[in-house]
Amino acid sequence: MSDHGLKSSLRYLFANFLDEQDHTPPLLPEGLPEDAVAVASEGIEVLMQYQGASYARLYVDRLKRFIGKQGIDGASFCDIARLMTSRMAYEDAIRIAQLKLAEHRGSGGLVKSTDIKKFRFDELVDALPAVAADPLLVLLEKIGWSHRRVSIPFSTASKSGIARLKVEAWLRRWRMFSIRYAQERAWVERWLHMINRSLAKQPQAVRAIIDTATMVQGYGDAYRQGLADWHAIIDGLAKPTFDGVLPISDLAGALAEARAAAMPDTRQVALRRTIAEIRARAAGAGADAAAG
Amino acid sequence: MDTSHLAEHAGAAGSFFASIFVVATLSMRTMIPLRVFAILTNIVLIATAIPIHNYPTLVLHAVLLPLNAYRLHQMLQLVRDVKQSVSSDLSMEWLRPFLTERKCRAGEVLFYKDEKADSMYYIVSGRYRLVESGIELPVGAIVGEFGMFSPSNVRTQTLECVESGLILSVSYDQVEQLYVQNPAFGFYFLKLMTARLFENIERLQQEVAQQNVPLAAKPA
Repeated sequence: MSDHGLKSSLRYLFANFLDEQDHTPPLLPEGLPEDAVAVASEGIEVLMQYQGASYARLYVDRLKRFIGKQGIDGASFCDIARLMTSRMAYEDAIRIAQLKLAEHRGSGGLVKSTDIKKFRFDELVDALPAVAADPLLVLLEKIGWSHRRVSIPFSTASKSGIARLKVEAWLRRWRMFSIRYAQERAWVERWLHMINRSLAKQPQAVRAIIDTATMVQGYGDAYRQGLADWHAIIDGLAKPTFDGVLPISDLAGALAEARAAAMPDTRQVALRRTIAEIRARAAGAGADAAAG
Repeated sequence: MDTSHLAEHAGAAGSFFASIFVVATLSMRTMIPLRVFAILTNIVLIATAIPIHNYPTLVLHAVLLPLNAYRLHQMLQLVRDVKQSVSSDLSMEWLRPFLTERKCRAGEVLFYKDEKADSMYYIVSGRYRLVESGIELPVGAIVGEFGMFSPSNVRTQTLECVESGLILSVSYDQVEQLYVQNPAFGFYFLKLMTARLFENIERLQQEVAQQNVPLAAKPA
């Protein structure tokens, strides 16, 4: 084997450790609406920094599904592209470390600060590869620490802080194997699926469905609350409407009403009550329509 | 009579033969010959270790020998099963030893339409529905095997669990590994996939023909 062949084989073998990746960003998909070029380009750039070229390609592939689709105008496409970027670049401890380092580098090393972020233990462990995370989660559950909160400093104020941030940012190469990534992937796919089903069943509600992605943001408690509310609304209103088991004629209005009832309450009392009311109203209207 | 020098010679000769077998093992390109040579290496090294009382080597290769034999048996069994499947019911039962169990709750979605496909599933229990077509899949069905070979590599339907149950899954990477490691498996696997594809085409043709019959029978 030639030296070159040996070197490239070794580089391939240790690619995950050496951070040797394809640094070529994917091209914008053909047929992209003109007004979406800027937002899609920004999405590719963000995801290249966030994870790498293959992840940016996944973004482009997901965008392609909506190019030329009936019912998706330029504005809706832009919203999908923008919100998908935001959800695909979800905020885990690795992302926060990446952003902190970028802020430090962007200022030429002049900005030195410390941010303290609160996470739950299970949230931190979820960012690890499933092989390592699963036994740790079982252990945390056993000792009752999985929901325990921990404050993590993200600091560029000292050399050791920067070194730690670099180590945390380096962990991104394992991100795609993490439990959190699997959950986020399923979430994005579910959101896109709901957009598709809305296009087929209630096209007038598409914008409202796209917009529901704004409910899921950030990290920690706010993220978990938003996610739980989103699932409650989709499971309670959107999905049954698309399945044809709940006759909601104005799904966009129903979603807006439910979203207005979503409060920072882990028990979701107001939200669940509102969803139940909307469902009862829709079922009543459906029964009246059938009778009369 | 002092036999220690005989043992020494036997040890040296054994080590020499074992070295040849190690080189031969490592130079194999595919899994079945590799396992065969690994087994031969284990036997030679065990035989060499006995006269010179090299117990660590003896123990190591006594453990490796059944392991290599078991893996070889698995691989031969796999090829036999795929081959049999091609000539009988086109089932994918042979894949079961390589599948991972997964429990599904009602309402859970296994995959979404247009999502990149990366694994195939075998339904053991529960009820599962393809959302877009409304088709319910029976127990024993294999889902998602064609995604491995489709150029776009995307799901064409969404699969939802309607009633909690158990499925077995295998990633395309795992099947690809089996394929690359074993050319015989690869050949019969391709044959099986093609046969299943032809079977699907035939079924579709029959359905189209059935739909056309009432149209043709209808008076103008």
